[in-house]
Amino acid sequence: MSFLQNNIYYIGAFGLILIGLLIVLVKHNLIKVIIGLSIMDTGINLFLIAIGYLRNGTAPIFSSPEVESVLMVDPVPQALVLTAIVIGVAVLALALSLAIRLYKHFGTLDLRKIKELKW
Amino acid sequence: MVNPVLLIAVPLGLAFMVPLIDSASRKLTRFVPVAALMFNLILCIRLIPAVLENPIVINLGGFTPPFGINLFVGPLGLLFAGLISLAGLVVSIYSLSYIKNGPVVKYHMLYMLLLTGATGVVLTGDLFNLFVFFEILCISSYALVAYHGDRAGIESSIKYLIQGTVGSGLLLIGIGFIYGIFGTLNMADIAMKIATVEQSTLFVPMILMVAGLGVESAIFPLNAWLPDAHSSAPSSISAILSGIAIEVGLYAVARIVFTVFGISDIYLFFAFLGILTLLIGEMCAFAQSNIKRMLAYSSIGQIGLILFALALATNNTVTGGLFQLVNHTISKGLLFLSAGYMIYRSGSMEISSLNGMGKRMPLTSLAFTVGAFSLVGLPPFAGFPGKFLIVSGALLKGQMVINILVGLVLLSTVIEGTYFFRVIQALYFKDGNGERKRAPATAVTAMITLMILIVALGVYPKFLADFLSSASSDLLDKMSYVGSVLK
Repeated sequence: MSFLQNNIYYIGAFGLILIGLLIVLVKHNLIKVIIGLSIMDTGINLFLIAIGYLRNGTAPIFSSPEVESVLMVDPVPQALVLTAIVIGVAVLALALSLAIRLYKHFGTLDLRKIKELKW
Repeated sequence: MVNPVLLIAVPLGLAFMVPLIDSASRKLTRFVPVAALMFNLILCIRLIPAVLENPIVINLGGFTPPFGINLFVGPLGLLFAGLISLAGLVVSIYSLSYIKNGPVVKYHMLYMLLLTGATGVVLTGDLFNLFVFFEILCISSYALVAYHGDRAGIESSIKYLIQGTVGSGLLLIGIGFIYGIFGTLNMADIAMKIATVEQSTLFVPMILMVAGLGVESAIFPLNAWLPDAHSSAPSSISAILSGIAIEVGLYAVARIVFTVFGISDIYLFFAFLGILTLLIGEMCAFAQSNIKRMLAYSSIGQIGLILFALALATNNTVTGGLFQLVNHTISKGLLFLSAGYMIYRSGSMEISSLNGMGKRMPLTSLAFTVGAFSLVGLPPFAGFPGKFLIVSGALLKGQMVINILVGLVLLSTVIEGTYFFRVIQALYFKDGNGERKRAPATAVTAMITLMILIVALGVYPKFLADFLSSASSDLLDKMSYVGSVLK
């Protein structure tokens, strides 16, 4: 039980990443695939945060001077995640706008029917 | 001394100025990328003597490494930055007349962002910063592939986006693992601490990062997006994607495998992967009847050859691999640019529609021929010294396995020669009809510049080879990299 308690964030993060990958690989609807990419992104962000997370830790800013630095949450992964979220939003927006154009051209979002280009 | 940060800052700043400049004067917009890349090229040339003496390390924000982000401008980084500015400059001159329809302002903006991202990847010394620049490169290339907004463009852009996003996700997970193990993101700091942990712990992050970057650099099992994306993008963008984007991905793979991890046990695996990529690429290219798809598959093959050369990890082969890389950027650029106007005139991408082009567009056909000869590796052109260095360096290793792989490299060159000569035969020795019309002056300028470069590098390779030799020691000599960053 303690294994689960100690690693719950990692289990959650990789669960999300694998669910996202599964959706990308299995689903045929483009919107669902894009949702899968988004879920995978969320999992990665959770994973990054979990690396620097400390149970009952404090934020490294605005804390009183007597708090030792080992009790603080690592701020670097949080800065990374902020950047990663912004990048994820950009990719998502581009993907959705491409999906709109795709629908205009093909009249469907089913990826099985969109295969004009081949080897 | 000029600050190398400007190599990234100037194109990035000007990229977001493009809409403003466009609202001030319509005519000026097209010339913004030309100006920015001209500036970059001059800056790179001016930095050469200083960098050859000592690599320049810039600490952004004034934090000394391993804290903060640093830029590392060594010979290898400068080689890539120079190559990006050169190819970018030539292609931006070409697109002055080639890009006329569609959202022109967005084209120039995204084009400069793409080159900014590429320059950032090759200059940065921080893993997460590498990821960020990589994403700038990827997102702008997704958008540029769909520039025409036609069926093929949108479809291939979606394919590229899905595969690329999964790839960058894997890269980010790998970076997360590395941060969890070492508590730092500085590449030199990680390279120093890598010996302190067990090698088996490093396996998962390395595979994740190589797989993530491998999608962008089109290493064999991960390259399904490339032929579609390269063939449906506008020709100027195909030239940049083929000549810059996948090379930058390969740079990142090499930097991470050689400098950061430096585990020599798996180099042979990469050599095999390179040969596999080379053979698959060349054989698929042989089967194509669409000229742009043929060139795209040929890019996959060349990437395989360069990966093979880098993976042998001796000074000779890496120098040869980098020479081949420079040659590939220039000649594949030339091939795509000349094919672009031939397609524009004939209205079709089929090779059979190019029959008799040698009479109708003599200069463009000559440019295509020079590029094809150089890529195959015929002597007076730039492809010869690169392939020669790779083969002779690989044979010097004297291992049976490597000798067999070299045999496969030579076999693939024969395949490459066959499909390129088939196109050249169609250009010159078959009759076709159509009016005789030249390409516009800007396109001709771009093509002639590249042709002169190819011949100059082929006739006098020592000029470049000396610089490449110090670039290859920059890649292989891990200790001096660590030493110059963490003084």
